Amino acid sequence: MKITQDFIKKIVGMAAQSRQDEIGCDDCFDQLHEFAEIELEGKSAAEAMPLVKDHLKRCGDCREEYEALLEALKTVS
Amino acid sequence: MLNWFKRRGNDKASYDTNEEWIKALKSPVDEQAVDLLRKQLIRGLKPALHKYVDRELDQFVEDVAQDALLKILDNIDSFRGESKLITWAMKIAVREGLTELRRKRYDDRSMEEFKRPSEEGRNEFTSITFSSDLPNPNDATHEQLVLQKVLDIINNELTDKQKKAIKALMIEGLSVTVVADQMNTNRNALYKLVHDARLKIKEKLEISGINPEEIFNNQ
Repeated sequence: MKITQDFIKKIVGMAAQSRQDEIGCDDCFDQLHEFAEIELEGKSAAEAMPLVKDHLKRCGDCREEYEALLEALKTVS
Repeated sequence: MLNWFKRRGNDKASYDTNEEWIKALKSPVDEQAVDLLRKQLIRGLKPALHKYVDRELDQFVEDVAQDALLKILDNIDSFRGESKLITWAMKIAVREGLTELRRKRYDDRSMEEFKRPSEEGRNEFTSITFSSDLPNPNDATHEQLVLQKVLDIINNELTDKQKKAIKALMIEGLSVTVVADQMNTNRNALYKLVHDARLKIKEKLEISGINPEEIFNNQ
């Protein structure tokens, strides 16, 4: 299949930013409720749980779920 | 003891603490607690999912809340109290809803593509705009040569599965949930597969002496 130079650059960018210690979707999900609550308390969840934050930056599905979770919790809190 | 009386009375039960919730949601399940949790899930799911659902939002979130409740009751023993119970339960419900929506969105898209079948995609990556395709290789810019080298790394160092995953996620723009379904795996394993691919590309770039900054600075 054919791909563009921009796409190759995107892959290179993602590869260059890769870390050995990234967590996967399961580990992120296991900690997401805690992460969300820290954030809603106005504290820095990214500082407290940097690997969850890192995963959310990289994974669109997990990020979408996190944002929807915050939206839901604003209503029931 | 107070809880016992509250539950016996069956009209004024309160679930203010995680301990009360956990007790109520463990077998034998307190139906009043389940009903209250269902209502809270529905209340949260509506604003969280409304932008993804174009019709029958109420019915959709009720179904999602019901499916999520089964998972919550099945997994109540795994809740360790790091947050309020509702936060943990809502997390499960939101994932349930979005997973369902992603699959549905993909089914609709597949039907569209079925009507207009596209070229059968191979996993091999090629590009007409790269140096090897120029009439005279000497015309290739330094950037094109570097990009061709990257392309070779992708083609020669990644497994077919890794190439297939990258193609689906990054070129076709499919969600991790859908691609995992297609490849008969799960999200976590798919993430790991692509993570390994990224690390492999990074390692090979370093060995080849290619500095990623160089690629971006030449834009």
